[in-house]
Amino acid sequence: MTDRILDRELKKGSAELLILALVEPRPRHGYEISQLIEQRSNGDVRFKVASLYPLLYRLERRGWIVGTWVEKTGQRRRRFYRLTRTGRKVLAEQRRGWHRFVAAINRITEVRHA
Amino acid sequence: MPDWKAVLTRWLAERRVDQVDHGSVIEELSQHLDDRYRSLLARGIASTDAEASVLEELEGDGGNEALARELRRAGRTWPADAPILGVDTRSRWLGGFWQDLRYAARALWRSPGFTSIAVVTLALGVAANTAIFSIVHAVMLQPLPYPEPERLVRIWESNIARGWPAWSTSEPNFLDFRARTTMFEAIAASTGQTFTMAGSQGAEIVRGNRVTAEFLPVLGVLPAIGRNFTAEEDRPGGNVRVAILTHGFWERRFGSDQSVVTQTIALDGANYLIIGVLPPSFQWGSADLLVPLAPNPEGDRDDHRLTAIGRLRDGASIGQAHSELAAIAAALGEHYPESNKEWSVRLASFYDWLIPEPARRSLRLLFAAVGVLLLIACANVASLMLARGTARRKELSIRLALGAARWRIVRQLLTESLLLAFVAALAGLAVGAATTRLLVAYGPATLPRLSEARLDATVVLFGLAIAIATVLVFGLLPALQVSRQHPVDPLREGTRGGSGAVARQRLRSGLIVVEVALSVTLLIGAGLLFRSFWRLQQVEPGFNVATVMTARIRLPSAAYGVRTREAFIERLLSEIRTLPGVVSAATSSAAPLTAGNTSTEVRVPGVESRDGTRPSASWRLVSPGYFATMDIPLRGRDFSPRDVAESRSTVIISEAMARAYWPGRDPIGLTITPSSFGSRERTIIGVAGDVRSLGLDAEPPRTLYFSTAQLTLSATQLVWRSSGDPASHVAAVRDIIRRVDPGAPLYELRSMNDLRDDSFNPRRFNMYLVGVFAGTALLVAAIGLFGVMAYLVSQRTGEIGVRMALGADRSAILWLVLRRGLALSAAGAGIGIGLALGLTRLMQSLLYSVTARDPATFVAVPVLLVAVALAACYLPARRALKVDPVTALRAE
Repeated sequence: MTDRILDRELKKGSAELLILALVEPRPRHGYEISQLIEQRSNGDVRFKVASLYPLLYRLERRGWIVGTWVEKTGQRRRRFYRLTRTGRKVLAEQRRGWHRFVAAINRITEVRHA
Repeated sequence: MPDWKAVLTRWLAERRVDQVDHGSVIEELSQHLDDRYRSLLARGIASTDAEASVLEELEGDGGNEALARELRRAGRTWPADAPILGVDTRSRWLGGFWQDLRYAARALWRSPGFTSIAVVTLALGVAANTAIFSIVHAVMLQPLPYPEPERLVRIWESNIARGWPAWSTSEPNFLDFRARTTMFEAIAASTGQTFTMAGSQGAEIVRGNRVTAEFLPVLGVLPAIGRNFTAEEDRPGGNVRVAILTHGFWERRFGSDQSVVTQTIALDGANYLIIGVLPPSFQWGSADLLVPLAPNPEGDRDDHRLTAIGRLRDGASIGQAHSELAAIAAALGEHYPESNKEWSVRLASFYDWLIPEPARRSLRLLFAAVGVLLLIACANVASLMLARGTARRKELSIRLALGAARWRIVRQLLTESLLLAFVAALAGLAVGAATTRLLVAYGPATLPRLSEARLDATVVLFGLAIAIATVLVFGLLPALQVSRQHPVDPLREGTRGGSGAVARQRLRSGLIVVEVALSVTLLIGAGLLFRSFWRLQQVEPGFNVATVMTARIRLPSAAYGVRTREAFIERLLSEIRTLPGVVSAATSSAAPLTAGNTSTEVRVPGVESRDGTRPSASWRLVSPGYFATMDIPLRGRDFSPRDVAESRSTVIISEAMARAYWPGRDPIGLTITPSSFGSRERTIIGVAGDVRSLGLDAEPPRTLYFSTAQLTLSATQLVWRSSGDPASHVAAVRDIIRRVDPGAPLYELRSMNDLRDDSFNPRRFNMYLVGVFAGTALLVAAIGLFGVMAYLVSQRTGEIGVRMALGADRSAILWLVLRRGLALSAAGAGIGIGLALGLTRLMQSLLYSVTARDPATFVAVPVLLVAVALAACYLPARRALKVDPVTALRAE
């Protein structure tokens, strides 16, 4: 039950933040992004194709990330998404917002123990 | 392994996503599904289960359609990818242009009120401007039809002391100038002469020009057929019976016969050998042919009748040429003090001579008037575009909010503006072309080259350019302000508009004030011209205009001596007088308004020595009965018929002359000695009323009248007065002349009324045009005012509804709207009066008997304007009265 709530809430408010954060260190392709989300959340959060790609395309349309086909010898070509300068700013902003949000939630929910 | 691409293609097709456009999407997604499938298999999951699990990936969360929606969104492209087959980017851009154009056409079509007012306003501005520009272009801007026209110079002799700043040249003086000048490549002279040519339908008048051999070379004209005059043909006693025909005369009289050279033409009873035909481009007055001038070095130096012209040597300036000729004139003055004392020269470029200052002044006035009209149209277009921009802010904001690129919206507005400009330019050019034809047909003869005005490529470009410039500068810039706003503001504003709307409304009000001010300026200008014209019509010409006819008659000099000529005239006049309906008939060397000035020196006892210069006066040769025929009042007595002895010792003077030299005294019986006609002492037998013979707007000149009994002129003016329409006797007079002498042609038949109209024509032209432009300006300003007031009423519907609901009566509501319109137009009228006070001074020279600050005009025009403004506000005010309070409040 908690898993489902976490999954839903995360996707509702912070899916963008997740993706931006994942492509921040280096460009990644879609499958890699979905794998990382699943692994790092210990399987609590998972994006299906039908929700991950619209998100990627939307972020790309806004100019926050940009996708390019990259060919490596002996491999299929893959579409890698990389963070743009605008995307970097947005990410920083969303991170700050997220930290404030979490801090606020924490202050409210943990007031009993104070 | 399942074919994921096929699965995806089918999946997209089911959701009506165009899969061809998204080839790379399918590739990307199928890889993802493939990876997922492989990883499931690697975890030891059975292939069928793995496949089902992968297919779930496409279900999304809760079966939503996010992916399909995202893909379906317009504008999703993959720029860095392999190009999509079948569409190249260029045609896509053009396709965008056509799409813009269609969209623009639809947008304009959807608001017919805005479109029609903007198009009509702009078209009127373009029409007036192209029409006047086509004339300015033809008259002032086209080069003269001669090679290197800037080197052509008109040369006058001038005698400032006698008040003749630009006088013709005498033959010996011309020859001396020609012999001594070094600044000119050549100088030439010409003088007009009419000939009688015998023809099958009776005698015909042929207009000739006697010219020197250098005349055509100076102008840079070569005969199209044959040759120019030789020096031998251009000297007294030489073989001067040769003629060169103009192209038009050659076509008309010789049917373009190529073998015309070597034929002869009989002029005044003498045979002239035709030696050449001029090209069609040659223009010199209304000449039919040229004959040699053969200037006589022994001629009278005081007989000034040649038109002298010259072509400057390469590198010589008109100033240098003037210094040189003035020095020659001074030398001649010392050598021939009797005739040449105080004579100098005056030079002008051909351009300044042929396109004289009054014509240019008139065109400048008209150009200024249409310029003001265009400014008013600009203000109106700007105001309309502002209102439209306001109305469209929401549409544009929504498009911006939906992600439309700003440049895309600007491009759309640009297309719309250009389409509007183009339609208006086409309409304006069509009206302008018709106007130009009208102006050419009815324009005054004083505008040279007017007949060449037409809508050529330059004029069309001019029209297009002003239309586009107007729309871009005055229309698009305000519209762009709208695109620069934040997308959300207008959406928040609601229907009534916030502070931005107030600013825009203030700007529109300001534009209206400008329009009204400019209209008032233009109307005052038109009013002053109208008042001048009206004053001119009230002027007493000093003679009968209504029922007098004039015609010129020419007697072949070879066939008539002075005595027989006089007998001929006497018989002619007595026969004309017997015609039923003819009251009186006479002759004159020149009827009023028909010829240039004439001048003679007069010795008036006790007057001449006062300042060293002799009095001079205009002169006429008139037959007995002339004053009665023309209804010119006469004190004293008229010349008696057939009394040659008396005619040599008498003179009649004009009232102006009497006032000038015998103020407060009766000059009848005193004597004067005019230098013309034998320098005899003559007794003043009568004083004739003043006649405005040089033009109705010119003061009556001091005039001497001599009797025709001594006349030596071979052409004379016939005048007769009828009890009814004088033109009705033309056929009968022709019959009489044919009976008396078939060799005497009658020509230049004009009623005095026509001559009077002609003398009004330049002023009438200015007045009508400025009047029409001012009227158009008033109309455009009224339309603008109407638009602003209507908009205001629609904006204040709610407020009006509240006021009505609270019990405001109709007159209060009406006043609410009218007050605003009145304030705007009164402010505009005030500024306009100020502008007019400054500007109309510049047109003082175009006015007659009216000051540039004529109080009547300055009062009448603003009153008229405020009346029109109130009318323009009345319709919107009526609409305000019809506001239903309930509906208005419900809309809130």
